[in-house]
Amino acid sequence: MWYRSPSFILDNQAQEKLLLQQQQHQQNDDVLNPPPPPSMSETSVLNPNPNPNISAYYQTRAAHHAVVTSDWLAQAQAAVAGGVSGEVTAAEVEDGCEVEKGGSVIEEFNSWRKQPDLAEAVAAIRALASVIRSSNATTMMELEIELKKASDSLKSWDATSISLTAACDLFMRYVTRTSALEYEDFNSARSRLIERAEKFGEISYKARRIISMLSQDFIFDGCTILVHGFSRVVFEVLKTAAQNKKLFRVFCTEGRPDRTGLRFSNEMAKLDVPVKLLIDSAVAYSMDEVDMVFVGADGVVESGGIINMMGTYQIALVAHSLNKPVYVAAESYKFARLYPLDQKDMAPALRPIDFGVPVPSKVEIEKSARDYTPPQYLTLLFTDLGVLTPSVVSDELIQLYL
Amino acid sequence: MPDTQTLVNDFVNKLKKRKIEGSQATARHTAELLRSVISQQRIPYTNQAGALINAIKAVGEQLIAANPVELAVGNIIRRVLHIIREEDLSLTTAAIAAAVAAAARSTLRPPSLQTLLEDVPDATAVPHTSSSGGDSEGRSKSADKNSRSRKLKHDVIEAVNELIQDIATCHEHIAEQAVEHIHQNEVILTLGRSRTVMEFLCAAKEKKRSFRVFVAEGAPRYQGHVLAKELMARDLQTTVITDSAVFAMISRVNMVIVGAHAIMANGGVIAPVGLNMVALAAQRHAVPFVVVAGSHKLCPLYPHNPEVLLNELKSPSDLLDFGEFSDCLDIGCGTGEPLLHVVNPAFDYVPPNLVSLFITDTGGHNPSYMYRLIADYYSADDLVIKRKSTAGN
Amino acid sequence: MVQRRPSKTAEDADDLTHVPLQAILLADSFATKFRPITLERPKVLLPLVGIPMIDYSLAWLESAGVEEVFVFCCAHSKQVINHLAKSQWLKHPNMAVTTIESHNSVSAGDAMRVIYERNVIHGDFVLVTGDTISNMSLAEALQEHKDRRKKDNNAVMTMVIKKSKPSAITHQSRLGTDELFMAINPDTNQLLFYEDRANPITLEKSLLTANSSVSLHNDMQDCYIDICAPEVLSLFTDNFDYQHLRRDFLKGLLVDEITDYKIYTHEIHSNYAARVENFRSYDTISKDIMQRWTYPLVPDIQSFGSSVMKLGRQGMYSASDIGLSSNAQIGPFTLIGKGTTIGSNSKVSNSIIGEGCKIGSNVSIEGSYIWNNVTVEDGCKLKHAVVCDGVVMKARTVLEPGVILSFKVVIGEDIVVPAYSKVSLYEQPTFQDSDEELEYTDSSSGMAEISSINALTGLSDGELVSKAAEASEVGANGAGYIWSVCEGREEEWRHSVAPISEDRFAEILQAAAEGVDLPHIDNPQHSEELVAPSVDPENLTEDNIDEFEKEVEATFQRAVQENIKDDNVILEVNSLRLSYNMAATDCAGALFYSVMKLAVETPHSSNNELYKNVAKVITTWKKLLKYYLASIDEEIEVILKFEEICSESAKELSPLFSQILHFLYSLEIIQEEAILAWESEKQGADEVDRVFLKQAESFIEWLKNASEEESEEEE
Repeated sequence: MWYRSPSFILDNQAQEKLLLQQQQHQQNDDVLNPPPPPSMSETSVLNPNPNPNISAYYQTRAAHHAVVTSDWLAQAQAAVAGGVSGEVTAAEVEDGCEVEKGGSVIEEFNSWRKQPDLAEAVAAIRALASVIRSSNATTMMELEIELKKASDSLKSWDATSISLTAACDLFMRYVTRTSALEYEDFNSARSRLIERAEKFGEISYKARRIISMLSQDFIFDGCTILVHGFSRVVFEVLKTAAQNKKLFRVFCTEGRPDRTGLRFSNEMAKLDVPVKLLIDSAVAYSMDEVDMVFVGADGVVESGGIINMMGTYQIALVAHSLNKPVYVAAESYKFARLYPLDQKDMAPALRPIDFGVPVPSKVEIEKSARDYTPPQYLTLLFTDLGVLTPSVVSDELIQLYL
Repeated sequence: MPDTQTLVNDFVNKLKKRKIEGSQATARHTAELLRSVISQQRIPYTNQAGALINAIKAVGEQLIAANPVELAVGNIIRRVLHIIREEDLSLTTAAIAAAVAAAARSTLRPPSLQTLLEDVPDATAVPHTSSSGGDSEGRSKSADKNSRSRKLKHDVIEAVNELIQDIATCHEHIAEQAVEHIHQNEVILTLGRSRTVMEFLCAAKEKKRSFRVFVAEGAPRYQGHVLAKELMARDLQTTVITDSAVFAMISRVNMVIVGAHAIMANGGVIAPVGLNMVALAAQRHAVPFVVVAGSHKLCPLYPHNPEVLLNELKSPSDLLDFGEFSDCLDIGCGTGEPLLHVVNPAFDYVPPNLVSLFITDTGGHNPSYMYRLIADYYSADDLVIKRKSTAGN
Repeated sequence: MVQRRPSKTAEDADDLTHVPLQAILLADSFATKFRPITLERPKVLLPLVGIPMIDYSLAWLESAGVEEVFVFCCAHSKQVINHLAKSQWLKHPNMAVTTIESHNSVSAGDAMRVIYERNVIHGDFVLVTGDTISNMSLAEALQEHKDRRKKDNNAVMTMVIKKSKPSAITHQSRLGTDELFMAINPDTNQLLFYEDRANPITLEKSLLTANSSVSLHNDMQDCYIDICAPEVLSLFTDNFDYQHLRRDFLKGLLVDEITDYKIYTHEIHSNYAARVENFRSYDTISKDIMQRWTYPLVPDIQSFGSSVMKLGRQGMYSASDIGLSSNAQIGPFTLIGKGTTIGSNSKVSNSIIGEGCKIGSNVSIEGSYIWNNVTVEDGCKLKHAVVCDGVVMKARTVLEPGVILSFKVVIGEDIVVPAYSKVSLYEQPTFQDSDEELEYTDSSSGMAEISSINALTGLSDGELVSKAAEASEVGANGAGYIWSVCEGREEEWRHSVAPISEDRFAEILQAAAEGVDLPHIDNPQHSEELVAPSVDPENLTEDNIDEFEKEVEATFQRAVQENIKDDNVILEVNSLRLSYNMAATDCAGALFYSVMKLAVETPHSSNNELYKNVAKVITTWKKLLKYYLASIDEEIEVILKFEEICSESAKELSPLFSQILHFLYSLEIIQEEAILAWESEKQGADEVDRVFLKQAESFIEWLKNASEEESEEEE
């Protein structure tokens, strides 16, 4: 009976917790002073936790990539409802006392995030690096504690963002691995830490380029690629391929409810790549024409599977049954310490879905924003560490955290 | 130098004319050629490894271009490069603290999360580790360097000799494991003729296992017939079947054992034509599909890599007699489009999910484990062999 | 010249002195089949699937283990030598390539004599021309040759042959040459007879008696790869009217009764060997290479340094750096060279495109060979054409099948170049040897022209173009002359690049059915004749009878004109009968017809005169007619024939039917039994057929009465 299914129970528990949180945070509303976003649109800045049922992460994604550009408008498309808000700055605060520190991290984080091209995780890493730089600690322990606090605040800003969590975790591990015993002098150790943090930031930033270079070999002339939604890494891959004068065409799913696919197809069209837009349900229909499926990932889990936008699992299933390869482009900082056993075994990330008509209140809506694709449906993962099979990923992660 | 150039040209010629057959022979020749290149290469005092690497890469590019389908050539070149880097590292690390040494050693492995976090600043300095390692110590002794240079070459040549030895004896090591896999009263299926498989089977026979062998003839070269004769000479009960009969017979078979032309990084196999069919039939009937291959056949590239030519189309004269069909090929009348096209591919690609087990000279492995072996044998910098050594591609 | 005899024991010869395997490569074909292209470049440097032909030959020789090659150049020798120098063949480590230059050789025979004088050949050598493509291994053939030499010093040459069936309809081989007929002794592989013309073949009886078994082949192709003993060179010097390798030398040796030189054959099966002789072979061999019959001499392996060729699906070869627009349709079996760009909506199929070409949009290229640096602008259509380096085709031009565009020609806009024509910047040489078969004489005059053109090449391109610019044969802004199809070249379509077109094919089929191509037998000979297998097996068809009758008529007319004696005419008609496999009755009928025709054709003004003519003619040829009317059946046949004549061909005779019948009876050419039998036969016939019966009724009545009388008398 579905009442008793673990996922249902978990769902309910999560709901209750969120409601509690919401009540709590109502009190802290007025403390906030988020800097006004320098963007064009003037819609209301979303409150810190305006709707506990909405994953801020996906809100951000929607905001970034469902942005209706002027030329799209010029093609007489109705403006995307509600999603247009230049920069969402949902600064959130953990506890009132640590407002400043936490605030500054978040501020840093947000300032990095103003560039839509920048991955959230990279922004977080850079923010944490700047924390080290600006910290007043005098011993390694102090520094570590500071960093931990900052990392926790970032993580809790959006509990649903896996890459953010993973990046923060990796960074922390990074720091703890540095043997402070090497350097007796704290300052030199700190400067070394800063160096390495920046290096890490650099690598993560460049990860996309490395991945796009690695995947060039897999795109051959005359192939058809299916993409899901808007993944910046995949976009980079395809952009590089188009610049290298490869002949290929792209099938792009709509990616409801964000409709990020529309934006993607627009970008592809600008690059003169033949692109075809599919509704999400048309994937199986068109799968026989497709040569490969290319998706990004929000997180790569220990089993070698991925967590990505809702719909990825479906596409991978169809591709697998028709023997089409599924390639995932994911940067290495997205490797997370999670092992979901089924679809509901993750922190829920919900977002509003607009059906265009009002839905009666008695009707439930599945609002989850992401799903988990098991490793047996994936062929290869393109990461900045190289091209790996899913089993290699799990090997790597186990080694790392051992 | 001119001497090596003639040797290289000679070898390139042979490769182009497809005169050398078989991965083992090609691998051995390549290794011997590279050994002579190394021994004749004059290396400067600084950055010796770099000079050697460049020389090998220059030769390697030519060799690979001569016969892109013969992956063993590329494999051996990359092995030698890895050997050079390793030996170089072990020489320099003899004088450096262990921690950094360990760090430096792991740079040879493909970048992983671990290494990412450990050696980030060192990563960019890897190609210069050999020289900078010496310099940063500040304890360079010129005499020391001199002896080091000689030692590097010496070590490398020794290691290459070992490699050649390994290539030559890979069959024995594989055959030793036969007893663990072949038991009493089994029926084994194979296709075509692979020397590795033959030695494998003969070793099991010598250990007094009784089993029967089905040999699929392996059109169009019908090497299966030759294998059947050889097996018969060793008192093994053999049955010869056509390739098309494999599906019909496979239900009576306990195990399929085949050789391979090359094993790719994802665990896929490039095998003589017809083996994909056998693998599918084996999967259908839940028969284990075992691939035996020496370690010189392990290739660090993926099958989708454009540098990898999965197949070579040979002359159609193996299939059809030109004289008999010359009037069908007659293009003089009609629209000019050839009505009869004869394709004679030499290889098949077997995806990793169809293979149950790989038996190499290091033991038996899962297909998903192959990347580990590859990481042991090859360095990441050498995946693309280009004349200018590029750091970290 | 002292010949080194191979010593008795093989081991000694090999151990003591390793004789390097030598080869002679004739880099001049001494033919004009590839004009106008060969006016500017030697044939052996023409690209075949992007690679000059001589490179194929040299690569093959090297892989076959040849150690010394002598390249004989005559026409455009400088170009050949430059090419060899640039391409490193001269510095090859395993194979020593030496060039031998000559400026006044006009044939292969001359070339052999020059080489003999140079005294460089010691031992058996391989003789090839520079346009041979092969991947065979010479070891076996060489071994056979050497073994034979040891046993018999007169075994001077071993030819390589390959099975390749000619087309049964056009009687042409795949390579566009005529059907080749060979007689080989299957036990010893000795070549006994060689003939490459489609005329009736004559075999000597001695051939059959001297050999225990003879097998006759018309399904073999001469690969023009010969392993020769050193005697061959001296043979050429001894007989210096030997010009052509096959026509003179080979046939000369075969029929030579004084010296007993023998030629042997070696058949190859799974290997490939062919020679590019004309445009049709160029087309066929290119397609064979694309189909990989010549593995490993295939484009993706034999990249001679410059670019790497990749083989894609369906036989599509593409080099690096090509620019294909996204909606260009590149069909199967095409090769696209380095740096070529193809515009949108263009269709390319079954073609070979060289390096650096610019193909515009909406271009359709089918079955064509485009060499390097060619510009084809938008909207052009090429079909089965050969386009050489540097050609510019302006917009919307159409090349019909079989067109050859020579170097640097410019075709103006909207021009349609007619089929099978050749366009060149040089004017067509005005001399034309009527007998095209005498290649050497043709090329000798060609030589003179070539040297004058060599002088011309000193001019800059601009000047040359301006000279040709006035010729607006190829349109405004065009440059080039169209070489018209002249006599001796009507059979162009046989050798052309284009496949034989549908209507031509239908024509040939039609002709074959009617037997138009049947050879004309002029002189019946007494010896046995073996007729070439070109006659339709069904001999009793209507057409054959007509044919036969025509022949008989012709014979008869000649007999009349030349006053040949009856006996001779009888002989002739007999032989005709044998050849057409006719019955005697047919002969009679035919002859009678001829006789009547003669009579009718003699001028006459009235029926009476006609009758007199007929009577005269019949009297003159009475003996002839009588000879053939040996039995009643024949006579009946004649009467029937006569009826036919009267009703159809010579209507004037109809009223005279019974009179003539009577006359025939009186001359005892026709017996009364025949007439009576004819009458009874006709009883059951229709009215129409009985017209003449009626006419002759009275005569028949009289006959019956006469016969009664006779029979009464006899009693």
